[in-house]
Amino acid sequence: MIYDALIAPFIEFEFMRRALAGVIALSLGGAPIGVFLMLRRMSLVGDAMAHAILPGAAIGFLLSGLNLFAMTFGGLVAGFTVALLSGLVARSTELKEDASLAAFYLVSLALGVTIVSVKGTNIDLLHVLFGNILAMDDQTLLVIAFNATITLLVLAVIYRPLVIECVDPVFLRTVSRAGAPAHLAFLALVVINLVNGFHALGTLLAVGLMILPAGIARFWSRDITGMIGIAVASAALSGFAGLLLSFHTKVPSGPAIILVCAALYVISVLFGSVSGLVRQLFPGRHLEA
Amino acid sequence: MTATAQLQFRDVTLGYDRHPAVHHLSGEVVPGALVAVVGPNGAGKSTLFRGIVGILKPLAGVIGLGNLNPRDIAYLPQTADIDRSFPISVYDFVGTGLWRRRGIFGGLGKVEQARITEALAAVGLSGFENRPIGTLSGGQMQRMLFARVLLQDARMIVLDEPFNAIDAKTSADLVALVRRWHAEQRTVLAALHDMDLVRANFPETLLLARSKVAWGKTSEVLTQENLLAARHMCEAFDDSAAPCVDTSSQAA
Amino acid sequence: MLRFLSIIVVAVAALASRASAQSVDPGRLNVVATFSILGDFAKNVGGDRVNVTTLVGPNSDTHVYTPTPSDAKKITDARLVIINGLGLEGWLQRLVKSSGSKAVTVVATKSIAARKIEDGHDHGPTDADPHAWQSVLNAKIYVANIRDALMAADPAGADAYKANASAYLGKLDALDRDVREAVAKIPPERRSVISTHDAFGYFAAAYGIKFIAPQGVSTESEPSARDIAAIISQIKRQKIPAVFLENVSDPRLIRRIAAETGANIGGTLYSDSLTDEKGPAPTYIDMVRHNIKALTSALSS
Repeated sequence: MIYDALIAPFIEFEFMRRALAGVIALSLGGAPIGVFLMLRRMSLVGDAMAHAILPGAAIGFLLSGLNLFAMTFGGLVAGFTVALLSGLVARSTELKEDASLAAFYLVSLALGVTIVSVKGTNIDLLHVLFGNILAMDDQTLLVIAFNATITLLVLAVIYRPLVIECVDPVFLRTVSRAGAPAHLAFLALVVINLVNGFHALGTLLAVGLMILPAGIARFWSRDITGMIGIAVASAALSGFAGLLLSFHTKVPSGPAIILVCAALYVISVLFGSVSGLVRQLFPGRHLEA
Repeated sequence: MTATAQLQFRDVTLGYDRHPAVHHLSGEVVPGALVAVVGPNGAGKSTLFRGIVGILKPLAGVIGLGNLNPRDIAYLPQTADIDRSFPISVYDFVGTGLWRRRGIFGGLGKVEQARITEALAAVGLSGFENRPIGTLSGGQMQRMLFARVLLQDARMIVLDEPFNAIDAKTSADLVALVRRWHAEQRTVLAALHDMDLVRANFPETLLLARSKVAWGKTSEVLTQENLLAARHMCEAFDDSAAPCVDTSSQAA
Repeated sequence: MLRFLSIIVVAVAALASRASAQSVDPGRLNVVATFSILGDFAKNVGGDRVNVTTLVGPNSDTHVYTPTPSDAKKITDARLVIINGLGLEGWLQRLVKSSGSKAVTVVATKSIAARKIEDGHDHGPTDADPHAWQSVLNAKIYVANIRDALMAADPAGADAYKANASAYLGKLDALDRDVREAVAKIPPERRSVISTHDAFGYFAAAYGIKFIAPQGVSTESEPSARDIAAIISQIKRQKIPAVFLENVSDPRLIRRIAAETGANIGGTLYSDSLTDEKGPAPTYIDMVRHNIKALTSALSS
């Protein structure tokens, strides 16, 4: 009975296995990035990026028609440009990261809409660009796996400067030049994860699997390695459970995964061991020392 | 630059938005000096330190560091821009002081681990290793930052009002650390408000009120008239000020 | 300044009204057809003697069409209005009434044996499936009805209409033969496809290819894993050889379904309207040929 409900769908259908592989790969790459985004108060970046990549996709479309590769590549370039420019401006002027990014992504979006309307087509470009986790073909799976590997490798390299940049940026500036490159590398990773996530899974999943698990982890751990671990685990678990939910009911797959993740989030807000609401109401007797 | 000088200011002006906070400062610090930098609020002490450490570029003039790499200066800022909600333990935070030795990848060997524990003990934070930094009091934060400076093992140490919010016992302990650094031939500059502490522990003083009021032996600098002169400095920037005429060529 | 502007406005209005007025050629019969397929029939039968205007143009959906005031004008100017009937043009009654037209309405599907609708496509009050033109034999009846109506409206051209219709009917006969031959070449056990179209009932009945609706897939929204699993199981169970799922928005999803079931992915099938000049189905005959080609190539390999 349990077997039928939980395991059989994956044994029986290849598309389910592929979907699970895809969502696990996405968790490995996206969840750690999400933790850092949350800690740096950049959680809304994902949404902004979704709009920022439009002119890149539009130019790709203009040059090569409805070619997914060209449009994705264009999206990556646009995303990088916006991320890097906004990062540079934030670091060298008074303007902070959030305002800088907002300004650039809006410019990018306006450009994108202009380019599309000049060409005179009605196609909803972004819809074409965004995929579906039930449709994992070999190429897309490879891309996600590759992306997760790159993310983990680069993250390992920039981990230390990234952490110090979050905690004590002045200190980092005085002892090292690694601050700026680490930050820009981080932004690049964000763009890669988001664009590849859109391409493979759609907006909702890509951003959702980055930010929600980070929020969940906040309530269960006080140190950053623990947070990353919990974030990855909850993302993968949401993927597994969400796919099953979509399999047994009529809920579409992307929203199903995010719904499960959101449920985990609510549970964490209420019962989390670190500042969960119920914990705050009933803290238990204080300790001896 | 004098062969023996560790730090040299050549007509340095530092400021924000073209208004000077440190105005036409010249002078030298020899290696191994123990210098207190005093002055009223807004005198430019923090600004001067930011200039030394390289965070702020001078509006005019040059700050010479000799053969010292600015990355080898240990800096303890005044209002630490530290994100206290970040999930990092005291141990890991203090451990970042070993950055210059570890770099991006270096691990923490037995030697390094011992040094971190030692540093924590020296500032009286043994037992705090696993505490998240967000749970520390103001005084404990300061002591933790001192421990990090200890680990940096730097030739020049710049402390901006390091004894704020600290009780007397801890102050005494930390002053002992400063004297130890001085004994180890490191160059130490500290911005301070407590005149008694300065007179008791610092042989050299720079009295700053945007421009130099007096610089030299502490007993000669901290006189009634000098302190009075410093107090008369105007704290606010003058919005209607004209560009400053370069008088250095005439002065020299 | 104001005087100048008002002259401009008047001039522009005059130009606009000139532009939108039908090229009313007093010698020709004004005929309005509700949609592109009927318009095609009308042009073939009427030839030079008629001026055919279509309300629902190519690539548009007759079921959900909302008429405009200029449509009312077209009907007012017409002598003959050709409609499909069988519930296809739910919006037509009000349009004719509001136009106050004196035109004669001819129902092109008169005397065609109507089929019942199989599934939940909303065609209004009747249960009949209006896509009768999908069977070429029915199309011949359409043409005959149109010919008769034209002869009644314009007796002077009766001979021309008869001749045109005759020639066209001959082409339709040839078309019907070709379709049957093509289907005959497909092995009997392979004569079924999955399609989101529900417009091929008459085609299926006439030529023996089964059109099976995919279980549960709603064409607008994102399918759930259950929907996909259901389609895959259905295809495997019924051994359906080809899939025409163009309404599912992600082509990779279709490819995944095809890969997992071994089914072929078909091209596009046209059912409810013709395409424009540049498309593959600008006339009725082209449309049928295109469809049967798509079907055979998907089913034969």
